[in-house]
Amino acid sequence: MNVMGIIFTNDASLGELTNKRTMASLPFGGRYRQVDFALSNLSCAGVRHVGIISRHNYQSLMNHVGSGEEWGLEMEEGGLEFLTPYAMSTSHAYRGKLESLANAMDFLEVGPEDELAVLIDSAVLSNLDLKAILDAHVASGKDVTVVTKAGICNGEKKIDLALKVENGEVTDMVVDYAAPEDYVASMDVFVVNKKWLMKSVQEMIARDKFHMDRDLVLGGWNRGLVSVNVYPFEGVAMFNDTVEEYFYSSLSLIKKEVRHDLFNGNHPIYTKVRDRVPTYYGEDCEVEDCLIADGCMLEGEVENSVLFRQVTVGKGAEVEDCIVMNDCVIGEGAELKYVILDKNVTVTPGAKLCGTKKNPIIVKRGETV
Amino acid sequence: MYFQKKRVIAMLLAGGQGSRLHVLTRKTAKPAVPFGGKYRIIDFPLSNCVNSGIDTVGILTQYQPLELNEYIGNGQPWGLNKTHSCAQVLPPYERHDKKSGWYKGTANAIYQNIDFVDRFNPDYVVILSGDHIYKMDYAAMVEYHEKNNASCTIAVRNVPLEEASRFGILNTNPDNSIYEFEEKPKQPKSTNASMGIYCFNWQVLRDALIADEDDPKSSNDFGKNIIPNLLNAGHKMMAYNFDGYWKDVGTIDSLWEANMEILGKEPEFQLRGDKRSTIYARNSALPSSYIDEDAKIRNAFVAEGCEVYGTVKHSVISVGCTIGEDALVEDAVVMPGVVIEAGAIVRNAILGENSRVGKNAVVGGVFAEGEKKQISVTSKGAVVEANTVLLPGDML
Repeated sequence: MNVMGIIFTNDASLGELTNKRTMASLPFGGRYRQVDFALSNLSCAGVRHVGIISRHNYQSLMNHVGSGEEWGLEMEEGGLEFLTPYAMSTSHAYRGKLESLANAMDFLEVGPEDELAVLIDSAVLSNLDLKAILDAHVASGKDVTVVTKAGICNGEKKIDLALKVENGEVTDMVVDYAAPEDYVASMDVFVVNKKWLMKSVQEMIARDKFHMDRDLVLGGWNRGLVSVNVYPFEGVAMFNDTVEEYFYSSLSLIKKEVRHDLFNGNHPIYTKVRDRVPTYYGEDCEVEDCLIADGCMLEGEVENSVLFRQVTVGKGAEVEDCIVMNDCVIGEGAELKYVILDKNVTVTPGAKLCGTKKNPIIVKRGETV
Repeated sequence: MYFQKKRVIAMLLAGGQGSRLHVLTRKTAKPAVPFGGKYRIIDFPLSNCVNSGIDTVGILTQYQPLELNEYIGNGQPWGLNKTHSCAQVLPPYERHDKKSGWYKGTANAIYQNIDFVDRFNPDYVVILSGDHIYKMDYAAMVEYHEKNNASCTIAVRNVPLEEASRFGILNTNPDNSIYEFEEKPKQPKSTNASMGIYCFNWQVLRDALIADEDDPKSSNDFGKNIIPNLLNAGHKMMAYNFDGYWKDVGTIDSLWEANMEILGKEPEFQLRGDKRSTIYARNSALPSSYIDEDAKIRNAFVAEGCEVYGTVKHSVISVGCTIGEDALVEDAVVMPGVVIEAGAIVRNAILGENSRVGKNAVVGGVFAEGEKKQISVTSKGAVVEANTVLLPGDML
């Protein structure tokens, strides 16, 4: 089976956290960027030809992914390609996934005709067994396989694409809608036959339709032109569509069952290597219920928090329910609760910051508070 | 094939058995023995090379090379896999003229790989070993060698007089030129100990290696043969003083001590470094470490991929370890992938890779101040059964 992957990187926003980076390059879980999950899922399924579609702000993403060698994508043939607007000679940013795919036709054409394509987003994090999903797609004989997760739709959260499935058949679909509980949410992972995708994209663009969920999947299905297979995913799926969700997902990694599902030993999540020393725990530190990356220097109290690489927590500092990204320095005696510190933030000694669970305080990259 | 000429290349002697590390090197070459939570001993000389701008390293392997070869791979973790750089593993091989077979000694190992060195036509060759923990700028030593127009420069460090008879001792003139070399002298005349780090003019060394090979009485060793022969032949040889941290980790005690010496707020040996002194290692794809609400960690290193539920004091915990509930780990070196089950007690010990300490088992003991510590050791994959005891100083 020949398979290629396409990763979308921009189609969501978490305010200040994604002002200067894509959703794909948003740091997550102490040592990862969100795109690591999509890349590792593809890599572990043996996919060796991956395109990353990016509209803007992709500097940090390119820096992180590099040649793709950490994911086994550093190849002479195939490998990893960045599909940016400039690289595809369009002067404007794409209006939707279909338009971006239309601009990526050269890339799509490279492999054999009978190739399958996996389209995957960077805002929903999971550890997928893509091989099983690809097999299920082929066995179904349908045009599109949508990977779905039950229990996400609740009548309040707006879902990109929600489906009602009865006895294995799709009976309803809604787009951009707060679907009720008996709907399953698309995880923004699709499997299609490449040839079919190329043809469909060209037809859609000719009619000025560029929204994948609304125009291709829902529109096509409504008119009986597109057959849809559903693959229900049983594992942990984190929909990081809002800051609140991102904050909640991050801290839920502290729970064993969540952690062990997402970082399952048979299917590692790879990330860019940083050569940091192991974390040093000082004489007086108190660390409880935390996820701690390499390179930290801990002398204060840290509870129920995720610390990225090379974080310093000074003596007497108290950090609770926080996400602290790379290279932050938290001064002696500082107190933080419900705070997200972006990279390289300095918290001066004795400073106090307190957000709420729903609205954690975000301190922007490089700032001093 | 075309090879870029190099001013300096390094040859790293990594074939020794390290028999004084006993069970830890039963299935692993000494340079591949884990150190400091996420490193292996060979990471130190390899990273020093990279940090010194030496991008071509021949690594001579012989004893139990599987793991070491796999670890070095294509040299990617140290950036030695680029177009004009390499980390080349050089095992013994068979030649047409029968001057081959196992490496007979350190000098013979280089002799058998003269062709490899010649490809790069280097001016200088730095000879290193994979036995020591230290950070050193070899480039500064090469500069010193070049400035003094020497044939050979040997890195030396001051050792206490009472220990000097364990080392190769260099007796020097006031300008630091060497007039005498004594291998493990009973009555040392100085305290300048050779660190086993040499910088040679390649043509001088090349001739010396060929002459040495023709001498049937030679034991083909740098310290015993090559260095004294060059000195007798009147070559200019210099001592290069190094006063940073340097530790031979060839014994259980010294390996344990060196691990303890990276601990503390101002440790004797600082693992952390800036861009020019980072130690690079092959990194695992493990998630961040989880520290439980009942865990207590004091004055310790814990690398990534660990789950800590118990108490860790004054210890080094390597990648991928689990410390169970109510377990106590104190003054211990815990190598990668070790599992310490609930209620176990581990003190003054080295736990080999992937070994396991069962529920409520006890490994090692405590010692009075000033008493000589007897370090307990588990070998790779060993299992200390639940509710059993591994006595102080015992090995499993």
